Amino acid sequence: MAVGRDEKKVTDDLEIFSADNLQSNMKIIYYSRTFLSIISGVIAGILGLTGLTGFIFYFLVMAITSVGLMAKANFSVHAYFTSWNQIIVDGFLSGLMSFVLFWTFAYDIVHIF
Amino acid sequence: MMNLGFTIGVLGVLILSHAAYSTIQYRGLLKIVEEEFSGPPMTVVLELLFGLVLCLWAALSVPGKFISIHPDSDDNRIVSLPDNLDFMIFNHRGKVLQPDTGMKLKC
Repeated sequence: MAVGRDEKKVTDDLEIFSADNLQSNMKIIYYSRTFLSIISGVIAGILGLTGLTGFIFYFLVMAITSVGLMAKANFSVHAYFTSWNQIIVDGFLSGLMSFVLFWTFAYDIVHIF
Repeated sequence: MMNLGFTIGVLGVLILSHAAYSTIQYRGLLKIVEEEFSGPPMTVVLELLFGLVLCLWAALSVPGKFISIHPDSDDNRIVSLPDNLDFMIFNHRGKVLQPDTGMKLKC
């Protein structure tokens, strides 16, 4: 019985974390991704990328961003986040929207007008 | 540190807009010599890469540092006491039921 209680205590300890700090970390990641999706959209527009190449460029930049964020967290993800997905996957789709917006915007300014 | 990152970000955006302006001029030149556009010149590509690196730096440094989510790490110490301390009474019957919060007080 005592052993079972100890095990339960260990798992409880693992799940305790500061939700405020987690939210603040998520907000930092969200800011970084949004800014970089805008910047990568502008760059893709200036380069004159069209079609699939632009989306490949976006995923490339976001992969670089993920690596940069992991380096910022000193590669010890579990001290700052609950799972790897939060640092690698979160914010991809919302960033994609701003990417497409600024991609077409920069492309129009540079190549069409 | 934050100010430096912000300055670098502004510099990166300025470099990107200069690259866009150069590309516009290059398109005008191509129109005069009547050639097809197959991509911006090498200098502009290098400039774009440089601007991307600067903006990457800014995006990673400006929003602030990550804070540890572990309850017993140094980031989560209580550094200030609440303002209504005078109204708090600790000498009551509840003190026999000591809660086990595990928080650390910074002296």
